[in-house]
Amino acid sequence: MNLRRRYLRDRLMVGLVYLGTSVVLLPLLLIIGYVFVKGVGALNWDFFTKPPAPPGEGGGGMLPAIVGTFIIDLMALAMGGLLGLGGGVLMAEYPEHPLNRPLRMVANVLGGIPAILMGLFAFVVVVLPMGGFSAFSGSVALAILMIPIIMRSTEEVLKLLPWELREAGLALGLPRWRVTLSLILPAAKGGIVTGLLLALARAAGEAAPLLFTAFGNQFLSFDPLGPMDSLPLKIYVYAISPYEDWIQQAWGAALLLALMLMLTNFIARRAMRRR
Amino acid sequence: MKKPVLVVLALTLGMALAQSVSLNGAGATFPYPLYAKYFDAYQKLTGVRVNYQSIGSGGGIRQLFAQTVHFGASDAPLSDEKIAEFEQKFGTQVIHVPTALGAVVPSYNLPGVTQPLNFSGPVLADIFLGKIKKWNDPALAELNPGVKLPALPITVVHRSDGSGTTYIWTEYLAKVSPEWKAKVGVGKSVSWPTGLGGKGNEGVAGLVRQVPGAIGYNELIYALQNKIAYGAVQNRAGKFVLADLASVRAAAELKDFPADTRVSITDTPAPEGYPIASFTWILVYRDLDKDKAVKSRAEAEALARLLDWVIHDGQRYNEALHYAALPEVAVKVSEANLAGLRYHNEPLNQK
Repeated sequence: MNLRRRYLRDRLMVGLVYLGTSVVLLPLLLIIGYVFVKGVGALNWDFFTKPPAPPGEGGGGMLPAIVGTFIIDLMALAMGGLLGLGGGVLMAEYPEHPLNRPLRMVANVLGGIPAILMGLFAFVVVVLPMGGFSAFSGSVALAILMIPIIMRSTEEVLKLLPWELREAGLALGLPRWRVTLSLILPAAKGGIVTGLLLALARAAGEAAPLLFTAFGNQFLSFDPLGPMDSLPLKIYVYAISPYEDWIQQAWGAALLLALMLMLTNFIARRAMRRR
Repeated sequence: MKKPVLVVLALTLGMALAQSVSLNGAGATFPYPLYAKYFDAYQKLTGVRVNYQSIGSGGGIRQLFAQTVHFGASDAPLSDEKIAEFEQKFGTQVIHVPTALGAVVPSYNLPGVTQPLNFSGPVLADIFLGKIKKWNDPALAELNPGVKLPALPITVVHRSDGSGTTYIWTEYLAKVSPEWKAKVGVGKSVSWPTGLGGKGNEGVAGLVRQVPGAIGYNELIYALQNKIAYGAVQNRAGKFVLADLASVRAAAELKDFPADTRVSITDTPAPEGYPIASFTWILVYRDLDKDKAVKSRAEAEALARLLDWVIHDGQRYNEALHYAALPEVAVKVSEANLAGLRYHNEPLNQK
């Protein structure tokens, strides 16, 4: 009797946990499902291979935006990743360093600044002196966005490693930088890459920092010093337009962006597991 | 393993270097469908890539001053103060190149009303002042005998960004309504007494489409392409005129044309003219080397050639998109202006 009641209570609780989980997952599934239903119709061969057509003419595609997204985001990851990693390593491995306190404060403040201000900053320090909008300036804005995320995740991951690992390295006579480079970073590789991916995912979805930096371009461009298009920018411009086919393409672009991020995530995780 | 990466890199670099001149412009949304067509055609014709982003006339002028673009675009000419500021700051003149004529129409969303409504300037001013609140207001009913107007509240939609379309609209309203002139005034952005804001001509058209009972103002092509209803406006001669090529052209028939092309044609005295029409301009530095965005003589020459093409061959794209082509006199004045373009004090080869 008592036992059965306990079983019953157990099952009830497990049921509640499942319910809670599904409630949490529901918005995610709804968003992905809705974007999929709305956007899948826009994905055709032209969408991937053609530049956009003049408004009202119909047709055209997203090729410049797709290529631009890759170029801008990868440049941003290269810049932001390097600086963020450096900051994270400093904070975790050299806790006594005098730069740590201001660095932590900068990371916290930077993390709380709206993304559009990063764009404004890049406009003032890169676009104005260089006399023109450029993909590079967009990458700078996104890199600044990534730095605090990467810094914090790197620090967290490195702090999880047992201190004995470092002591073992030092005991073998390795200098400190060598311990970090050859022992700590490889051991924390998985977590660091996850942090980089999180930052990439966050930045790849941002349109605001690119408005007055990467600027947009209806032609396919590989020139990092010229204006370049990007999927979030296209979504922003197309979604508020009155043209039916542009709105349709905005849904398609949103779907593509979501798929690309999921795919990057998946591939990186698989590659990590194999090594 | 590393080789394919290198090949791809080299290819990318090669393509980047092999690219011909590209020019960047930004500004008005009013002529954006036309400019998109121009530059699409121009790229196919010459290989020169002209990247135009429609960020609004206010943004276009700001970027011209910030020297981030080869040309700005605006439906509002620079004011005298702005011109003085430009000349003092950069030591050169700004050249207004008119490219087309367009009409700003009162666009609305009234379910159940199929025939175009009649508006007059003062009534439009009262609507945008928030004084006329319902579609069946006596003032509107009087202008539209025989039309069954619903008792729907009016939702005013205006631009939220700095806009040449707003400039044309408010300049017209200030000409016909003293109250508008006193309370709101003329500008690319004004403090609206009432209504919702949309970004760009696209945004206003999108809002009007979505909100039943909404009234906004749009360049004609945005209303046509999106099948939004728009009304006729009573001109100074007392006639209700719908915006079309003929009525815009009638408004643009000017006897004397100023050398700097800054001319307003709203509230035209022409009996067949549409009263809310305007030129739209591309703005460039006369001494192109003074614009930091112009990086070489080749770019300056490409820009001069582009502008020459726009005021001549490009004009044939205007009418298909419901923008009137430039009158002969405007082309002549612009030819003279463009001949003055220079790079490091040397004239540019335009052909």
